[in-house]
Amino acid sequence: MALNVKLLDPITYEVLQNGLDSIVDEMALTITRTGYSTIVRDVLDFATALCDREGQMIAQGLTTVVHLGSFPDPVKCILAAYANSIYPGDVFILNDPYGSGGIHLPDIYVIKPIFVDNELEAFSCVVAHHSDVGGRVPGSMSTEATELCQEGLCLPTLKLYERGVPNEAIFAIIEKNVRVPVAVIGDLRAEIAAAQIGERHYQRLAAKYGALTVRKYTAAFLDSSEALARSEIASWPDGAYEFTDYLDGDAVADGEPLVLHVVVTIEGERVTVTFPKTSAQVKAGINSPLTYTKSAVYGAIRLALGADLPNAAGYFRVIDVVAAEGTLVHPRPGAPCGARGIVGFRVMDAVLGALAQVVPERVPADGEGGCSTMSFGGFTADYRPFVYVDSLAGSRGGRPSGDAPEAVPHPMANQANTPIEIIEASLPIRIEEYGFATDACGAGKYRGALAINRNIRNLAPDAVLQFRSDKRRFLPYPLAGGRPGTPSSYVLVQGDDRVLLPTMGARSIEQNAVLLHTTAGGGGWGDPLERNAASVQADVWNEKLSVSHAEREYGVVIDPITLQVDTVATGRLRKRLWAAKSLSVQSRG
Amino acid sequence: MDGKCRVGVDIGGTFTDIVVVESNGLCLTKKVSSTPPNFALGIANGLRELLAENNLSPQDVQEIIHATTVATNAIIEHKGAKTALLTTRGFRDVLEFRRGRIPDLYNLFYTPPPPLVERRLRLEVDERIGAKGEVVVPLDEASVVAAVDRLRGDGVEAVAVVLLHSYQNPRHERRVGEILRDHLPGIHLSISADILPEIREYERTSTTVINAYIGPLVKEYFASLQEQLNAMQISARLLTMQSNGGIMSAEETRERPVAIVESGPAAGVIGAHRIAQRAGFNNVIAFDMGGTTAKASMIENGEFSRSTETEVGGGPSLASRLIRGRGYALNFPVLDIAEVGAGGGSLAWLDRGAFLKVGPRSAGAVPGPVCYGAGGEDPTVTDANVVLGFINPNSLAGGAIKVRTDLAEKAISERVALPLGLTLLDAARGIYTVANESMIRAIKAISTHRGRDPRDFALLAFGGSGPIHAVELARALEMKMVIVPPSPGLLSAVGLLEADMEYHCVQTYLASTVDLEPSGVSEVFQQLENRAREVLTRDASKAEQHAINRFADLRYVGQTYELTIPVPAGALTRQDLAELSEAFGQEHERTYGHRAGLEPTEIVNLRLIARALVGKAVNGSQQVSGKKTQPADRRVYFGSDHGAVSAPVLTRSQLSGESRQGPVIVEEYDTTTVVPPGCGVRLDDWNNMVIEVQPVDKGQSNGWR
Repeated sequence: MALNVKLLDPITYEVLQNGLDSIVDEMALTITRTGYSTIVRDVLDFATALCDREGQMIAQGLTTVVHLGSFPDPVKCILAAYANSIYPGDVFILNDPYGSGGIHLPDIYVIKPIFVDNELEAFSCVVAHHSDVGGRVPGSMSTEATELCQEGLCLPTLKLYERGVPNEAIFAIIEKNVRVPVAVIGDLRAEIAAAQIGERHYQRLAAKYGALTVRKYTAAFLDSSEALARSEIASWPDGAYEFTDYLDGDAVADGEPLVLHVVVTIEGERVTVTFPKTSAQVKAGINSPLTYTKSAVYGAIRLALGADLPNAAGYFRVIDVVAAEGTLVHPRPGAPCGARGIVGFRVMDAVLGALAQVVPERVPADGEGGCSTMSFGGFTADYRPFVYVDSLAGSRGGRPSGDAPEAVPHPMANQANTPIEIIEASLPIRIEEYGFATDACGAGKYRGALAINRNIRNLAPDAVLQFRSDKRRFLPYPLAGGRPGTPSSYVLVQGDDRVLLPTMGARSIEQNAVLLHTTAGGGGWGDPLERNAASVQADVWNEKLSVSHAEREYGVVIDPITLQVDTVATGRLRKRLWAAKSLSVQSRG
Repeated sequence: MDGKCRVGVDIGGTFTDIVVVESNGLCLTKKVSSTPPNFALGIANGLRELLAENNLSPQDVQEIIHATTVATNAIIEHKGAKTALLTTRGFRDVLEFRRGRIPDLYNLFYTPPPPLVERRLRLEVDERIGAKGEVVVPLDEASVVAAVDRLRGDGVEAVAVVLLHSYQNPRHERRVGEILRDHLPGIHLSISADILPEIREYERTSTTVINAYIGPLVKEYFASLQEQLNAMQISARLLTMQSNGGIMSAEETRERPVAIVESGPAAGVIGAHRIAQRAGFNNVIAFDMGGTTAKASMIENGEFSRSTETEVGGGPSLASRLIRGRGYALNFPVLDIAEVGAGGGSLAWLDRGAFLKVGPRSAGAVPGPVCYGAGGEDPTVTDANVVLGFINPNSLAGGAIKVRTDLAEKAISERVALPLGLTLLDAARGIYTVANESMIRAIKAISTHRGRDPRDFALLAFGGSGPIHAVELARALEMKMVIVPPSPGLLSAVGLLEADMEYHCVQTYLASTVDLEPSGVSEVFQQLENRAREVLTRDASKAEQHAINRFADLRYVGQTYELTIPVPAGALTRQDLAELSEAFGQEHERTYGHRAGLEPTEIVNLRLIARALVGKAVNGSQQVSGKKTQPADRRVYFGSDHGAVSAPVLTRSQLSGESRQGPVIVEEYDTTTVVPPGCGVRLDDWNNMVIEVQPVDKGQSNGWR
């Protein structure tokens, strides 16, 4: 493969690669600027890509990792279902997780075949997370749904446009089946515009360089990505690396923990990921369809491969994902999956946990476990429907080379936050706190990032709240002798009533109800007793850690008034803690 | 001749360019070394020499207009003031949360830049204003006083105050400001409602914090500069280029230092704009290539392209809204400039797949390109240009810099040609072409990414390296014409003298255009206009010089990003508002390829740009301070289509209004212009070189085969 690449003109290579990269970024920009819902336009929960005529991703926008890894499946489903009836001017739409390559109903794909001189050359691909697609709860990510049918409108692979003519029936059906049609249709229009921009610019490149030349070079981008991945993986020690992570449970089976067991097998230049002891699929809507599971695995492996791979997804070819049907990571058709994000995040975390044994210098400790998503909707005082989706993440684990910086979201869903002033100006919501939770992080030589507090007040006459979190019981895992992260929590305050909510569920809430949400804090990396006392002191000075936390977790004694380290007392305390620790190791041994 | 003169000074990290224009139009220029950290010293030294060399006295200087990187550098180098931030209770971490998303998808080790205010100095006060400006929780003044103790104890020099929804109701912020002033007299204070009364708390917080962070330093810089000028007995007034391309008095700049963060790049665009206007080009892409970066900016229908949001301290940016997050958000009017890390000093290297890359790492001023013989080992774009014969193989800048072609050849042979199996010349051509590719991204970022076709524009090239690359860039983008102004390396300094005074202001005004009362909008515009006129008058401009332009940011109800649409002058009518909405629809279609038919639109912000037209054209003959060299013809490699050909090397004065066919190399004191075979070059009436670009045949793009 590498040989093949050498025969190409390196300059044309660079020109075309940049050309495709700027196309997918421009597609993404179009969605950002013209999208309607906060989840699309502010949180940026969408992805853009170009796939070749076989569905291999040749360029991906700087968007959401777990969306990106999902594109090949829906394109392959289009090719299978419409083999001889794909025409210029067609636009496909789909969200069906079973049979169309979708990943849950709110993620609607818009895929436009690109023709050059009547020959199918590529696909312009967009997926966006819509604020609502109907179903039992606002936001359509019910954790209590027990069938796909309860989760909203399901679209198999359909032509939204055929030869440039829109199928108005599909638009009309969507409009009547979602809670906030203006936002959903607006976002859909943004997706279509982006897909068209991708098509137009690809055609321009093909006109300039020749369609066959572009085809030859995109094949080389894929080969080069594959070759780099192969040579990297070849340098990893062969073996089967296991990791088990847990989910606290789901909203139907009442707190029974779920097992996510992965085995990452490195064999020469290939990686195989299996899920042998992973729990069976569950009744609640958190099952992860296979496309989604695969995407999370691709993402995890790419993260460990290092950052400078080309932007084409040839590395998918060296990764095998094997998951038995009927498990949490490969549910049977019809299984509910609206809130599958939580399992997807855990797949990535578990694969990274296994890879930490392979390339320890490249994998940080576990973080908050991905977005805690809550959605919230109903009618305003003047009976206008509203839906608000809030996705909260940003507490990664300590790194082999340093502390986790605060407020960096989970790598699988690199999402932005929504400006509080924008939320409050358009929705019956008041945010009452958005800040770091002092002391809420796993201690380590390099500590995890602080957990996040976000408190939200409902100002609508009443509303339905859907929430989904995890890592309250099973905390973010530490690495290299660090301490685990800190637990998440959801507390609902209504009047004088203060209730600790389960990790997932739905509730009707009254006006002025306040939801107090704290995410999990990131896990620590390395022994906390090895942490530089000056770093501990800096965190205390900066009000990220308290004096008592410094003493308890790090053995660093700090004067509460001067905030200076008491070196003598610290030395004494750390010595004692060391001794206690080695004693416990011995007794265990 | 009355001996009066105006002075433009462009202070860069490495060089300070000085241009003096006498009242008879004679233009004197000088390039001197900058003198960090005390930049004022370099200005004074250079100016003193230039005046003395030309028998001008300090009293002749009427005004000094300067562009400075002092504010940018303070942010990049984290050398600003010890700054505190006061926020609404519950929100002190907004600054550190940023917008969450990071610009590196697959980098588990990405670290955002550290917040400019540490958590300890981010303090909360008890108060809350709602989205409509209503007071939800009244301000508890005791909580402000409590914060004062912390600020005093920690030796804080500057304070930013940002409370939620203050763009709707600034009363709490102003009261907090009063209390701080009472308790901490002399402290540098930035109130968000004064700096940026605009919705979106992170962007407003970050902008206000930047203003506070650089405030004391900018103040000190101006004091030092004034002192130097006083010592030279120059009593001229001092003006500064803002990021928006307008100039402002030193007093006004001290109040809103955040306005000058992109001062330097803006000056070049102004220079380009004036040149284009005079020469009759309405649609121009200004292209500025220096030592470490290349910048592109668009002038369409004679108007600059502006942006109200940018980012600072994050390295070169493509001005894309998508790849945000490397720097600090700065929502303040700037000329929309895309920047890439490709300049003369950018390093060529091979990536893991053995593909040729150029930049963003740069050889910097030290050691500089290999051919400078100062110890550089990795080949740079300038080294490639020397090997190709574009740059004088013996010396640059009138002999100030000796060129070692042998060293450049050796570096490119060993580090690029051998590993890739290319000839030396093809390897050098490859570096040149890959650098061009990166610069094309900058040009695309401000053209195709905004729905504009570069083929409708002429490319105006300046900066030390711009004219070497311009024609090939234009070719790749199918642009038909390249303009190289006189003294392209000093265009920024010249631009300063041609700039107008400008004052931009904004007020968030959230309202649907459907049932909007026009008088309310008119009233806000009138308030903004009064404020702007007051500032301009204070800066000694006359009312008849004033020009006011009004704009509104609109979006479809439900969208979150706006497009800025011009608003007519005078009292507005319902008809005006309907037309505004229609104009928005058209712009939406033009920018994004679709519009939403009958959907309602809403106004988000009202904006006003007030100008005092004080700039004066600099079109006199130019004299360059420094030695001239007599260039000789040389062999130049234009890619394998042409091979190495002998190209005449001329000076600008040897060209005429008659088109002369390339290959031609035009060598000047501060730059070289490359005219490849097949293209013609002539001078226009303003001494600009105008190059007609001939397209390359299909399949021969970039001259590489």
